[in-house]
Amino acid sequence: MHEMGLMASMVELLSESARHNQIEKINRVKLVVGKMSMALPDALQLAFDVYKADDLFRSDAVLEIEERETRGKCRSCGRCFPVLDNVLFVCPDCRGLDVEVISGRELYIDHYEGEDGNVDDD
Amino acid sequence: MTIKVELQTPILARNEETAEEIRYLCLENNIFLVNIMSSPGAGKTTLLEKALGYLSRELRTAVIEGDIATTRDADRISAQGVEAVQLNTHGACHLDARMVYQALQKLEYSQLDLILIENIGNLVCPAEFNLGEDLRVVLLSTTEGNDKIVKYPVMFRDAHMLVLNKVDLLPYTDFSKEEMEQDLAGLNPRMEIFYVSARLEQGVKEWADRLIELVKQSLKEHGMLGTS
Repeated sequence: MHEMGLMASMVELLSESARHNQIEKINRVKLVVGKMSMALPDALQLAFDVYKADDLFRSDAVLEIEERETRGKCRSCGRCFPVLDNVLFVCPDCRGLDVEVISGRELYIDHYEGEDGNVDDD
Repeated sequence: MTIKVELQTPILARNEETAEEIRYLCLENNIFLVNIMSSPGAGKTTLLEKALGYLSRELRTAVIEGDIATTRDADRISAQGVEAVQLNTHGACHLDARMVYQALQKLEYSQLDLILIENIGNLVCPAEFNLGEDLRVVLLSTTEGNDKIVKYPVMFRDAHMLVLNKVDLLPYTDFSKEEMEQDLAGLNPRMEIFYVSARLEQGVKEWADRLIELVKQSLKEHGMLGTS
């Protein structure tokens, strides 16, 4: 629902980092998005298409999104398990309810690639 | 030349930083910050209208009103004699930490014990944005149906407190309290639940009393900070 806003934050972070690293054009960005984050990959792609017009990106820049399943870890018995529909935080072994979320909340820029102004020597 | 940069940075890194600033500001000034979230029409403003009488008798209270547009809600709060700051997001579906930080600057916060933030009516986006709050309250109304809990699990997993509003309408809805409690047992077993009818002022005092208790507990724990 707020993917445009998330994309704006992403572009701001990338723009700062690119300046810092003397990168002129970005051609590839990789995001990691957990299933518990409220961001939908399709909507993120759509938002990226809008922001791609920005000078920061090459016109054929690609956004790669790696989705992460929601996984919990039981604090009673230590079992790690997938959390069904983001809803059932119940340990399948001991039925424990004290469950830590170990994956699924990710929403971060993993890495990006870009070109600096220098031409390759060879 | 192609350069690869391992950034490993959360997209909401800036929001987290500002939320930390808010948390520190509140700690320093002995302020308890509450983030109240629900879908539109669940009754956030009505609950606040009815609860403010109890709250402001015990605590110096103010409200930050988030709305996409208009000052109607802030006007309703001000009518209760409580200071209210209106935040208009102009279309944005949630409040972020920066907006709350700006709103705080408009309040005499050193003179306050409790600030209630009424978030934008939406069960999706506000769940993602840390506002530096001490307590997250989600309001659900019986007319929305109990399936909202499993449909918006992140919101209900992260909240500390659930206020079920419009309980006076229970007989006219398919809302199942049993299913709700069952779903919450798997999703958020520590959730405190309050049953209220804000309109009829049922259960409102109990909720307000619990808030007052939490604020006083927190003041006792952090009481040494900010005083010399």
